[in-house]
Amino acid sequence: MNFSELVSRVSKSLSLGLLIVALGGCVSATVDEMTYNEPVAGIGESSVVILGRRHAPDYDTEFDFIECIGDHIHSGDPSIEVINEIAFINEFYPWFEPRTAPMQPQTIDRLLQLPPVADRFAEMKLEYMIWIDGKTIDTDSTGSMSCGIGPGVAGCFGFGTWGTESEYEATIWDFTDKVEVGRVSAATSGQNYMPAVVVPIPILAPVQGTACDSLGDQLLEYLSANH
Amino acid sequence: MGVASLASTIFDREPSVIGRWLLLLCLTLLGAGCASKQVVVEGKFPSPLLDPLPVTMGVIYPSAFAQHEFFDEAKGRAESDWLVKTGEAQVEFWDILLTGLFDEVVHIRDWETVQARSRDIDGVLIPAIAELQYTIPTHTNVKVYEIWMRYEFRLVDIGAIHQQEDGALSFNPEERIAQWPITAYGKTPTAFLQSDEEAVNLAAVVALRDAGAHFITTFGRTPDVAAWLNDIANRAATEAGGDSPVARQPESQAAAASISESEHTPPADASSAGTSSVSVADTPVDTSPIAKPDEAAGKPKVAGDESSETDSAGSVADVEASS
Repeated sequence: MNFSELVSRVSKSLSLGLLIVALGGCVSATVDEMTYNEPVAGIGESSVVILGRRHAPDYDTEFDFIECIGDHIHSGDPSIEVINEIAFINEFYPWFEPRTAPMQPQTIDRLLQLPPVADRFAEMKLEYMIWIDGKTIDTDSTGSMSCGIGPGVAGCFGFGTWGTESEYEATIWDFTDKVEVGRVSAATSGQNYMPAVVVPIPILAPVQGTACDSLGDQLLEYLSANH
Repeated sequence: MGVASLASTIFDREPSVIGRWLLLLCLTLLGAGCASKQVVVEGKFPSPLLDPLPVTMGVIYPSAFAQHEFFDEAKGRAESDWLVKTGEAQVEFWDILLTGLFDEVVHIRDWETVQARSRDIDGVLIPAIAELQYTIPTHTNVKVYEIWMRYEFRLVDIGAIHQQEDGALSFNPEERIAQWPITAYGKTPTAFLQSDEEAVNLAAVVALRDAGAHFITTFGRTPDVAAWLNDIANRAATEAGGDSPVARQPESQAAAASISESEHTPPADASSAGTSSVSVADTPVDTSPIAKPDEAAGKPKVAGDESSETDSAGSVADVEASS
């Protein structure tokens, strides 16, 4: 192999790599929104709690996804106080466990019959309770990769690809009127790649992050007076 | 060139020494796949948010409960033995929960406590773990770790507690006020950089929390317990000449709880998800000897119950019945 052939091969490999990087960044997202009674002036000094649904047998809405949405909303409008999910669940134990969490906004009235629960809610000045239900999963994968190790030598060779899909729905409850005031859903998907020439290089599509941003933007638009 | 001689060149050691190292490394790697895994369940448990019932409740944690652990023997080379110790977490969790649920909780560890507090203790609660099942992703190919438990709670009158000749506490099963099961389910999905042990611990903590939620939401609705609470309320009303809050409290708790219990309840049996069964030796329903006075604090030993040791065969150890 002469020098020009070597340069040609390297440039082809680089082109392929760049193509993969470009493809890896591609995530498609679909967002649906249906909301009512938007707080035009924002929520003022009231607070919002975002909670994940975890009663399904085969999945839990991820805690870090809930945290991501909370951070997104708070960073978009620092005046909105988003209560930490785990702290909220612990403070109200056992009324927001998977077994006992209210499924309908009307049932909150029954929780409020318990004086300590009612007092704690009053302290929090809770205005909206947002329930997120969904998950991120990896889908079909293809390709193969083999790795080897020897004294002083280790490496992998091959190529793998797999898909990732996220699907989440946020249900907004007006805590004052005990009614549902909106639903926002986000479905995203993307393809991940893992080429390996000695070292595997994962090129991951930010599928869950895009779902977080999409859902967070819609919720921010609903809750904030500045958006 | 052999691997040992190649390595000896690189590391400047005798081939035989390197060979032994490599052999040891290979054996370690081979053994790693079937090494036993041990989890001592740990967690931070919140106090329940409710007005405590005006009840003084005695609590006895039998040794099989306070030292509860389960062991699952590997069924193949690809699997690992599992030893999960839940006893300490059980005691810590139920102490926090019961302290929040009742006005006063009295730990009954010896006959002296029974004698000293028999006048003001309204009832004695004796928890037992009747069954425990778990799954990990290698069992089911589902990316979820699960733990399912079935408790048997017995409520007895303090007068039903007796001292045996050897000092152990016992009670006549026929004298119990109530007995009811509580199921609990905890799961946690697989996560990046999370070990099997961490995931099983988390699933166990979720299961404990679920057990507490189930207990609180069903305590006042269990017919025999409700009748017992009514008796206490009537007694208090007679003494005070007015209405007692005892009877009202369980109703308000049940009101809140019934919302969700009726709407969605976690799987009653983990076997529906293909869970492998591991029965654990513990105090069975009709166990009566309870505690010896010389046991360590908080861990009374059940007479005849040396069954806190693990039972990989999945059998339930029989415990001698009293009287």
